Amino acid sequence: MTEIKDLNRFWNAYKESRLGLIGLAILLFFVTLAVFAPYIAPYDPHEMFKPMEHPGSDHLLGTNDIGQDILSELIYGARVSLFIAFFVSVVSGIIGTAFGLLSGYFEMFGFFLMRIVDAFLAIPRLPLIIVIAAFMRPSIWNLIFIFIILGWPITTRIIRSEVLSLRTRNYVEAARMVGAPDTYILMKHILPNVFPLLVVRLIIEASHVIIAESSLSFLGLGDPTAKSWGMILHYAFVYPTIFISDLWMWWMLPAGLCITFTILSLTFIGYALEELVNPRLRGMTRI
Amino acid sequence: MHRITKITGYVAIILVVLSFNFFLPRLMPGDPLSFLTGAPGMDMPIVLDEETRAKLLTYYGLDKPLSQQFYDYMLGILHGDLGWSIYHNAPVSDILIGALKWTLLLVGTSTALYMVLGILLGAISAWNRGGKSDVGLLVSLLSIGSFPPFFLGMLFIILFSVKLNLFPAFGAQTPFMGYSSLLEEASDILYHLFLPATTLVISHIGGVYLLMRNSMLNVIGEDYILTARAKGMAEWYIMRKHAMKNALLPITTMIALRTGFMIGGTILVETVFAYPGVGRLLFDAVTYRDYPLLQGAFLIITLVIIAANFVADMVYVQLDPRLRHD
Repeated sequence: MTEIKDLNRFWNAYKESRLGLIGLAILLFFVTLAVFAPYIAPYDPHEMFKPMEHPGSDHLLGTNDIGQDILSELIYGARVSLFIAFFVSVVSGIIGTAFGLLSGYFEMFGFFLMRIVDAFLAIPRLPLIIVIAAFMRPSIWNLIFIFIILGWPITTRIIRSEVLSLRTRNYVEAARMVGAPDTYILMKHILPNVFPLLVVRLIIEASHVIIAESSLSFLGLGDPTAKSWGMILHYAFVYPTIFISDLWMWWMLPAGLCITFTILSLTFIGYALEELVNPRLRGMTRI
Repeated sequence: MHRITKITGYVAIILVVLSFNFFLPRLMPGDPLSFLTGAPGMDMPIVLDEETRAKLLTYYGLDKPLSQQFYDYMLGILHGDLGWSIYHNAPVSDILIGALKWTLLLVGTSTALYMVLGILLGAISAWNRGGKSDVGLLVSLLSIGSFPPFFLGMLFIILFSVKLNLFPAFGAQTPFMGYSSLLEEASDILYHLFLPATTLVISHIGGVYLLMRNSMLNVIGEDYILTARAKGMAEWYIMRKHAMKNALLPITTMIALRTGFMIGGTILVETVFAYPGVGRLLFDAVTYRDYPLLQGAFLIITLVIIAANFVADMVYVQLDPRLRHD
């Protein structure tokens, strides 16, 4: 019962934020596209028709250089982009939280782990992803693997610093004094308190993954069998007359806007959540 | 003490990056050469002529034991030997040195611009918190920051180069142009720099803006701001001398982290605008599966970032007196 009450209270606070609601609406739109893609898309995205068709009644956004319906590609593209983003942010979130809890709670372990995290954070992320992706076979699961490997260190650092401050709170010390085991303290007293911070982090990580995935695909390192929005932009960009004809209006612009609005929705949601979670930002005029 | 730990940390990171670069091609199935010529996911196999093949063989030194290979590799790096580019048929280090100046120009200009603008706008926003200018700035900066850099660059090319014909769409200089004076050359370079730099500034300003806004909001709540107000000081003076100065401190460390993030954007922007920097080389190397060039470009980029991090760390120690006598 208390969970439902908490959720209700949370929702009541969240819906005060106009930005948060706009973000949520946009995200729900794309999630609907992704989930119901086979029912919404007019064609199979791999089916080939007459190439380079301009927008018309048969193909609302025309066809690409090998004759695939661009609108259907966009709708199915939502699946690829959103699936990678949410899968990676959840898995790297779990790994990052586990390491964050342990490294904040056990000092020696934390010291060594933080040196590894430092090394990860000092190496620029996109160039590293490009180099690894260039050596590996381009597939969705390889991309997901790379993103997870590079995603957990930031989460670990954020969770750890929160644990470090939580650990000195009276109720944690009290629990320790009455002899509660470490695992009990971590699961019962610390984890629930880092949870709000973690949710903000997951949302931000999801938007980073969407940028990284679309960038890689744009550079031609994506999975050619699972066409994402970035991949559509890649094929449009390497097409010789994309800039000097009207092609960009239906081939490039919609795909780019899909990426932009997805990132926008996550940014807005992230901002609204952060306002709720961060006590320093609380109590100001909500937007 | 603080400094020594930091420096050891940086040396360790450089060693990790160098080892990563050494082992990555050698961990791939087959040896690096057969991997090069039949890499997965590529449309056509690369055909190497005898001369290039021999150069690559000596570079990788595959007939020697691994420890010897590693030693030679490290020694080569110290001598500036980064291998032989397959696509350009030239030493990787020569190609990179030619490209590095353009990347530094692009990253340097955009970093300076987006930092200054982001800090100013963030301070103004926080000072007027909840007001019209705050809400307007916040929503518009979060929104334009959501455009991926490559998409923004493509839109700029269509709008400013193709439709309005205001700025060049590609390159860093007008090709085959004899400059009559230094001023002419400089203005041509700035003219070409405008669109790529603007793209980078727009896609990165949001992060700094938000940081500065949050940092300022924390500072504004402090007692010394209230005291300054009570003394009847001018608002603008309090904002500049009391609030901004203290709010800037946490921003300095972020500059370095942001530079790493920025490099990612630079690769994309250089690709879109065919700007002849290291990022563009990285894209070419990916397209033509030129692995030695790819790894060389990665190494240079990483070393530049680590250097930037190091400088930021040292500056931070200077700025924050609490750390100086650690």
